[in-house]
Amino acid sequence: MGQSIDSMLQNKAQHAKAISMEKEIEHKAIADWLTNVAQKRDKRAFTELFRFFAPKIQRIATSKYGNESLAAEVVQETMTNVWRKAHLFDASKGAPTTWVYTVMRNVSFDLLRKIKSKKEDNLSDDFWPLVESVEEDVKVFEDHLASKEMMACIDKLPDPQKSVVKGFYFMEMSQEQLAEHLDVPLGTIKSRLRLALARLKQHMGEIHD
Amino acid sequence: MIKHHPNSELLEKFADGELPASIAAGIAIHVEMCPVCKVAVAELTEQRSAIHFESSDLEMPMSELNIASMVEEITLSDEIDIAIADKEKSISVKGEEYILPRALTNMAMSKWSSIGHLARARFSIDEEPLRASLLQIQAGGSVPEHTHKGFELTVLVDGHFEDELGIYGPGDFILLDAEHTHSPVTKDGCLCYTVANDAQHFTQGINKLLNPIGSFIY
Repeated sequence: MGQSIDSMLQNKAQHAKAISMEKEIEHKAIADWLTNVAQKRDKRAFTELFRFFAPKIQRIATSKYGNESLAAEVVQETMTNVWRKAHLFDASKGAPTTWVYTVMRNVSFDLLRKIKSKKEDNLSDDFWPLVESVEEDVKVFEDHLASKEMMACIDKLPDPQKSVVKGFYFMEMSQEQLAEHLDVPLGTIKSRLRLALARLKQHMGEIHD
Repeated sequence: MIKHHPNSELLEKFADGELPASIAAGIAIHVEMCPVCKVAVAELTEQRSAIHFESSDLEMPMSELNIASMVEEITLSDEIDIAIADKEKSISVKGEEYILPRALTNMAMSKWSSIGHLARARFSIDEEPLRASLLQIQAGGSVPEHTHKGFELTVLVDGHFEDELGIYGPGDFILLDAEHTHSPVTKDGCLCYTVANDAQHFTQGINKLLNPIGSFIY
């Protein structure tokens, strides 16, 4: 044993420090990608996120479920949610890797429940909220009056778009359920939502400019 | 003060998303009310994500073509999921108002039915033999002494009850198995989320005749 305990420990400590610095840099990069996806719908940032997470998720899900096509579904669903929910990530609440892990865990839970119990009740976001506490959200909304503004904007939408937006975001109906409920093709629901969101973005932009 | 918590094995499985929905809901109700377990679950989740996401050895390679086409497909739609700020849902049972825990807001519930001081609504979770219910015991009410053929999980949502083992309050997480006999009594009335995998078995005298209550609660 040529090396003294002291120097071994020192080496270890330095090594640990190097690793934790590397982690910090990595976390910063991931958090920046998430922010760019949320704010700019940045496809390049999303591609980086995809390259970082998808092969890891594929491996986790394959070893957990022993089924590659199910694993591919977990990858697809998780990354879709990362694209659609990036604005819910809050860097002050924890590491971006933990946030994506939560998204993956929730997706897997709902997917497995769908397979096992034939239930599409998507309970995961109630069990493991992606947005921390409800009271806090309400406060944020009240502070910015954003929720009132948003409602006012929604009320200005043409009726067909209004009902789709309300059904989808406030009553949490799926696009398929809405299509059935309103008796129009699925494509129509999709395009109404797209139009409505474009219009909402425009309205909200005007207010904040 | 919450005194009764899920054990660490349950918390770990909860953090991993590996429990049946009925049990996960019970833990979620507790975690929502218990800051200690909330931190524990957050830490477990962070540990798991560090293990799985922070080493590039643990990857299954994907082809460039595959990556490009999946990214293309996902980013085709610009829609975002808006979080709904106000999700609070309240229910009224026999004149009492309760705010439902967040975990239960989207679980489909049956109509309430009642016997004596007890009222029950079932959740349609489709996890037989597991059954999940909300159980209200009105002030001054009790459940006759019984054992559990299987296990019984009770999470107190509102009010208090006491049995031979202690006094329980909002947020307490109580898991009983076949070894335990108890006869819960409530002074102020209570609302509990319960999960059981078999009917309760009444053990004493006339209460043996009450076995329909056993299956009522289950």
